[in-house]
Amino acid sequence: MPDDVTSGWFDAHIVTGAHPAALLQPTDRDAIATHLATYELSGALVSAMASWLHDPLTGNAEASAVADDLADQGVLACWTAVPPVHGEPHTLGGLVGQAADGEGVGAFRLHPRSHGYSPVSAAMDEFYSALAVTGLPLCVDAAELDWSQLAVIATRFPTLRIVVSQVGYRELRNLSAALRDHDNLSVDLVNFAAHQAVEWLAANGLADRLLFATGLGLRDPAESIVRLAWSGVDDATVRRIGSGNAAGLFAGRLPAAVGGQR
Amino acid sequence: MIGRRPPAGRQVIDVHAHLGPYSLFHIPEPGARQMVDVMDRTGTQVAVVAANRGIQQDAHLGNTETLAAVDAHPGRIAAYAVINPWQDPDRELERLAADDRFVGIKVHPSLHQYPVTGARYAAVWAFAAETGCPVLSHSEHRSAYDAPVLFETVADRYPDAQVILGHAGISPAGVDEAVAAASRHSSLWLEVCGSQMTGQLITGMVEQVGSRRVLFGSDFPFIDQRMSLGRVVYASLTEDEREDVLGGNAHRLFRWRPLPGDPGEPR
Repeated sequence: MPDDVTSGWFDAHIVTGAHPAALLQPTDRDAIATHLATYELSGALVSAMASWLHDPLTGNAEASAVADDLADQGVLACWTAVPPVHGEPHTLGGLVGQAADGEGVGAFRLHPRSHGYSPVSAAMDEFYSALAVTGLPLCVDAAELDWSQLAVIATRFPTLRIVVSQVGYRELRNLSAALRDHDNLSVDLVNFAAHQAVEWLAANGLADRLLFATGLGLRDPAESIVRLAWSGVDDATVRRIGSGNAAGLFAGRLPAAVGGQR
Repeated sequence: MIGRRPPAGRQVIDVHAHLGPYSLFHIPEPGARQMVDVMDRTGTQVAVVAANRGIQQDAHLGNTETLAAVDAHPGRIAAYAVINPWQDPDRELERLAADDRFVGIKVHPSLHQYPVTGARYAAVWAFAAETGCPVLSHSEHRSAYDAPVLFETVADRYPDAQVILGHAGISPAGVDEAVAAASRHSSLWLEVCGSQMTGQLITGMVEQVGSRRVLFGSDFPFIDQRMSLGRVVYASLTEDEREDVLGGNAHRLFRWRPLPGDPGEPR
C-alpha cells in the first residue's frame, strides 16, 4: 500500500482507441501504460471506443487485449453489451457468463441511446440478472439513458451494482435523488464537475458511492486528478474514493495493491 | 507525487468566477466564504467574480451582491460589473466608473440574447477603450450573439478595448475560431474554462497566440475550480508559460484598477 494518499488510485473509467470528433491524445496500450505511471495509479478499468462508436464485440476484444497486456499493472477490461437481434446466436446471459468465466473482465458498459434500444425493455432483464449474480458492475454514462430509466433498473435489480459516469455540473438534483433512493448506485469522477460536489456528497455520508476515474480518452485526466487530490475531504476519504471503493466494487478481480486499501 | 496541496509560490488568479445560486441546477456551497475556502486549497490569491444573479436575472442587484463579497473578503474577491444591454447599461456603467471596487466588466450576450456587435453594447466597448477597463464576455461557437468571430468586429471598431473571450469559444472548433480571432487582434484575450476544454487545447492556444494572452479562469462555482485548474497544471507548458496563464497575465491585463496583491508595476 503506497504511503502517499494520492498514489495508488484505481482509475475506474478509461477508454482505449481513437475518438472521431475530439482533440485528445491517442489512448493505445502505451498511452495507457504511461497514464498509469504518470499518476502512480494501481490499475484501471478499460473499455473500448470501438465498442461505443463502431462495433461492440470488436471493441470488447480490443479492450481485453489491452487488459491482457497490462494485467500486471492492474488493468481490467470493461465489455459493452447490446441486445441481440433476430438471427444472432449469442444471449446477454451467455455474454456475461463468458466475461465472468474469462480472465480480466471487471465490468460491463451500456450505451443504450447511442446504440438505439431501450435499457428498460424486458429483453434486458436476463442481462441485469446475470450481472447481479456474477457481481459484475454495470457502467453507464448519464447521457445514455434517462434518470427515470436508471431508477427502474436500480429498483428492479437491487443487488446489481451500477456506476453512473459523466454526470456533469448540472445534474446534482437528479443525482442526489438517485443516490438517496438506490443503495446500489455509485458515481465516478469523470466530468463530475459540480462545485464542491465531492465534499458535499462526503458530508452527506455518501463518500462510499464515489469512484475515482479520469475518463482518459474522453476527458483530460488532469481534471479528476486535481479534483480529488486538492479536494476538501480528509485523507481517509481521499483514499476511499481513490481506491477503496473500487476494491469493493471489483472485489476479487483487482490486484492486491488495490484490494489492500479498503 | 501529486500531493494534497498545490506547489507553494505559484501565483494563481481566477479571472472567470461567479457567486451564488443558479436556478437551472443545484450548486452546493455557492457563497463567497466557501469559494475562498476552495481558493485556499488551490492556492488562488484572487478570483474576479460576477454574481449569478447579475448575469441571470438582475444586473443591478447582482452587482450589489458582488460588492458585498468584495467587502467581506478584501484581497481575495474582485468585482466585475455585469452590464445587461436590456437593463439600463448606462446606469451600471456610471456605477462602475464611480466605485473602484469594480475592476472590470462582465457581459453575457448568449444569456441576454443580444449580439456583441449591437448598438446596445456600444457604450461598453467605448468605455473599455477609453479607460482600459477589461471586459470579460461569454463566447460560444456558432452563437448568434457571441461567436468568437463577432469579436473581430468589436476589435476593429474599438481596438483599444481589451476583451477576454470567456471559454475561448467553448468547443474545440470554437477554440480554433477564438485563436484565429486573437491571432488577428491583439486586444482579444483567451480564457480557458469550459466543459469541453483540455490541456491540449490550452497548449495549442499558447503555441498560436503566445503565453501572454491566455488567462486562467474556472467558472466556479458553476463548475468546480479544480477541473479547469488541473488542465493548466498538467498541460504541456513551460513553467514560465504556466505562470503567465495562471496569474501573470491577469496582473498585466487588469491595470485600470489593479487586482489585490498586484506587484505594482507593469511587466
